[in-house]
Amino acid sequence: MFGPTSNNPIAKTTSHKVVIPFYAYAALSFLIATILLFLSDQDFTGHYFHPHILAITHLMALGWATMIIFGASHQLVPVLIESDLHSNTLAYASFALAGLGIPLLVYGFFAFNLGWPTQVGGSLVLGAILAFIANIAISISKSKRENVHAVFVFTSTIWLLLTVSLGLALLFNFTSSVLTRNSLYYLSLHAHLGVVGWFLLLVLGVGSRLIPMFLISKYSNPRLLWVVFLLVNAALITFSLLFLFHPDADLQHIPAVLVAIALLLFAFYNRQAYKQRIRRKVDDQMKVSLLAVALLLVPSIVLLVLLCALMLTTGERADLVLLYGFTIFFGWLTAIILGMTFKTLPFIVWNKVYRHRAALGKMPSPKDLFNHRVYKVMALLYLAGFVLFACGILLPSPVLLKVGSLALLATACLYTWNVMLLVNHKPFRK
Amino acid sequence: MSESRNDQEREEKALEALKFVDDPEIGLNVVDLGLIYEIVFNEAEKKVLCTMTLTTEFCPMGDSIMANVKEALRMSLPGIEPEVQLTFDPPWNHSMISEAGLEFLGG
Repeated sequence: MFGPTSNNPIAKTTSHKVVIPFYAYAALSFLIATILLFLSDQDFTGHYFHPHILAITHLMALGWATMIIFGASHQLVPVLIESDLHSNTLAYASFALAGLGIPLLVYGFFAFNLGWPTQVGGSLVLGAILAFIANIAISISKSKRENVHAVFVFTSTIWLLLTVSLGLALLFNFTSSVLTRNSLYYLSLHAHLGVVGWFLLLVLGVGSRLIPMFLISKYSNPRLLWVVFLLVNAALITFSLLFLFHPDADLQHIPAVLVAIALLLFAFYNRQAYKQRIRRKVDDQMKVSLLAVALLLVPSIVLLVLLCALMLTTGERADLVLLYGFTIFFGWLTAIILGMTFKTLPFIVWNKVYRHRAALGKMPSPKDLFNHRVYKVMALLYLAGFVLFACGILLPSPVLLKVGSLALLATACLYTWNVMLLVNHKPFRK
Repeated sequence: MSESRNDQEREEKALEALKFVDDPEIGLNVVDLGLIYEIVFNEAEKKVLCTMTLTTEFCPMGDSIMANVKEALRMSLPGIEPEVQLTFDPPWNHSMISEAGLEFLGG
């Protein structure tokens, strides 16, 4: 009646010891980034190439988003590809290298010391990424079947490698001539390879698996996901080629349109998954994650306005560039992390504490391991802080920037408090 | 005939006990979720073999769910050694959720 079984068909899950440090580091980074944002809020009325803004951006991109993605990936990639994680040692190595490199890099930017602190810090981060890519690539190569989500993840790590390699070249270019032009010129290429190639591609690949899974949705459409994958990569390649070989051609809207189509298809995919869900009640964490999907459209709209402004007027719109970056790092990326942290970390902690406590009697479920009231307040403060700060950049308004950054700082405090509550959870029974 | 009735009674008892074992993420018990495929008693060896599946092959909670299933069988069927066997053939799908399970998830 049933097919063949083996003695141990479930592969071992990745140890919590590998994963939890990444989450804790990310929470701390988010907290420090919002403190810096609060202290440097008035810098957001000027030019985006400012030491404090560079420091905050890199702390958000690497310390917050990349570290949590690394941590979650070590746990989720085995689920996505249905195979074991290749090596815990490589995972520890990537944590140690990134953990040392990021503070050096951020300090270097903040103090505008673009010599050894940023160069050593950047090199350590590159080492962390190489360890991560090797681990993920070998794990994926063991996967038994073709898997669109795994292809998204692997391709995004290649874009990450290109982003960080270029970033490091830009850093060395400040002190010795490595590139043909000055570092500021390449900033847009560096930023877009990272934001679209690493963050967007990865979020699309992992989100397209997790959102239907958590909703228990009947919807599945790998063909649509392949189209999204091709559109995003075509946009990245077109953008890079135009940037390097035809920088004067007025064709930058082509990659933007390709990404916009991919985002609309992804939004359609999620809408179908939501409509065909079996689990009718959607929890707060999923609501925040779905909000993040909607927030994906905000930077796209800002980019469109920015491109139009560039075509119609002469001179740079620094406020729009700042708003564009803010809506990416403090907008959809932060929203999806705020949502998904509390859909993944509780399971990792639950597995750590309760997996060997098999017995009858109700144990707490993973969702009982953090404070939902604090989570709700955090979500509201986040939304308020995001909107106020974004308005503060646009108007520009020092008061809105101050109030918005304070709300975001409070968001980070509540997030960190809930993460620490989870990480330090001790067993109890209902 | 009486052995068969005995098996049926024990199977019902086992299924009742398994209704206390939840999938921690979904919050629904393994019976209504459709994870339990078969329960077979071996009278001669005093053993019961439970064949079950998971919602996904690399379910991070798999170990814990299986351990809970084994413990539930041990507690509900004293004197019988439980064994839990995992299969992914056929793989789990949404149509395996019971009416009660659908009602729970839709609530």
